[in-house]
Amino acid sequence: MRLKTSRERRILHVKTFFRWLIYYFLIIASFILMTSGTWLKPVLLVPIALCIAMENDLMGSAFTGAFCGFLTDIACGRLFGYNAVLLTVFCVGFSLVFELYLRQRFITYIVMTAAVSFLQCWLDYKFYYEIWDYEDVGRIFTGVTLHVWVYTVIAAVVIYLITRLINHFLMPKVHLTIEEVIQTN
Amino acid sequence: MREFFKSARFKVLLGFLALLVGIMIYAVTKGGYSVSAASFVNTVTKPFRIASNSVSMKIESIADKLSNADKYYEENQKLKAQIGELNKQLTEYDDLKEEVEELRKFVVIKEQHPDYIISQPAEVLGYIANDPFRSFTIDKGSAEGIEPFCPVVTAEGLVGITIDVSGHVSTVRTILSPDLSIAAVSSSTNADYGIIEGTVATAENGNTKLIHLDMDNELRVGDLMVTSGNSGLFPKGYAIGSVKSLGFETNGLSACAEIEPCSDITRLGSVVVITDFSGKNNEYGEENTESGEKEDSDEAENIP
Repeated sequence: MRLKTSRERRILHVKTFFRWLIYYFLIIASFILMTSGTWLKPVLLVPIALCIAMENDLMGSAFTGAFCGFLTDIACGRLFGYNAVLLTVFCVGFSLVFELYLRQRFITYIVMTAAVSFLQCWLDYKFYYEIWDYEDVGRIFTGVTLHVWVYTVIAAVVIYLITRLINHFLMPKVHLTIEEVIQTN
Repeated sequence: MREFFKSARFKVLLGFLALLVGIMIYAVTKGGYSVSAASFVNTVTKPFRIASNSVSMKIESIADKLSNADKYYEENQKLKAQIGELNKQLTEYDDLKEEVEELRKFVVIKEQHPDYIISQPAEVLGYIANDPFRSFTIDKGSAEGIEPFCPVVTAEGLVGITIDVSGHVSTVRTILSPDLSIAAVSSSTNADYGIIEGTVATAENGNTKLIHLDMDNELRVGDLMVTSGNSGLFPKGYAIGSVKSLGFETNGLSACAEIEPCSDITRLGSVVVITDFSGKNNEYGEENTESGEKEDSDEAENIP
């Protein structure tokens, strides 16, 4: 995208600032939700990080993944940094896959999010329960892990709609010049 | 005039006046009850008077509202503010009452166990998300003198142990967790020893499990299990829970029991942390941290 005037550049910067500000507000709100109450809850920060990664650049996605991961570690009482590493890897992968191979469609997002969040839940179960060989450990998988995964996938739909709304208003539109279109083709 | 006084009309009038005076005197003699005629009139006109009065009252009320609207509005606003203030005071009063009741419970702990040094009551900030063993965080940390591996209790019984302490927040591992083992003894027999250790199945119901119990134990349903205080990690004789059901381990070598904790661990509001007590093994945390290994096998309490 070629920005011709300083006004266009200024608008881009303002929109980018507010977009990220709202993203992080959403992240903090989700963290607070995750730390409230006693019921089983979706791991909201995973679909949020992935949704942000889908439509943003690699570095931003990686940083957001790490941030969401740290918050997930605090909310879920996990080793500080464990989920940060996982989510950074997932977000970078997500960002790359959508940049290079996949189109940003709802169905693609939801399938990919379901797969990634299942992987996150499964690894959590493996490392925090199964590896310690607790008695009846399978009950945690069926009673907690799978439930949390299903809730997370359901929550991902709402999160997708919210982030689409944010992006609709605050994501800069790509306007290619004729030269750029010719060069691209 | 003379003609008038001599006329029949005057005599009729006088008669009429006399009748009225007579009625009046009769009324006086009734002693407060209405004369029949008055009573009749009252009865007949009553519905009309009610309706009329109602209409007139409404009209007066509307007129009053219109004429005094500003005055009433101001009065209303004042009363609303007053109600708001009273509600606020009531809420504060309820909060204080609740706090005092909580503190009273914790004072009992101190009275019963003068050797304990206990923290200020700590609010439960929240349960760890999706943890089947109900770990939770509290709003007190190292700044308030809390260290890792300090027992966490309520007035009713033992809740768990601090495992991750930061400045003003600590994470508590509960007695529902399989990662916390506590040596326990029956308070009634004082002879049946075992180890309280959570399992996945019992944690689902908010209970924990007593394992490594002698086959010929004398435990009964309802017996209270208390800490034996062998390792110095937990104070001796603190209530943990009561026996809910008894059974045998699948290996057939020992008995076991499901224990219902004295405190409802799934719904805690506030707790206290016992930072010191007589017989505390202060080296536990350091040794555990440095070596990363469990305590000696003769001491049952451990934190993997």
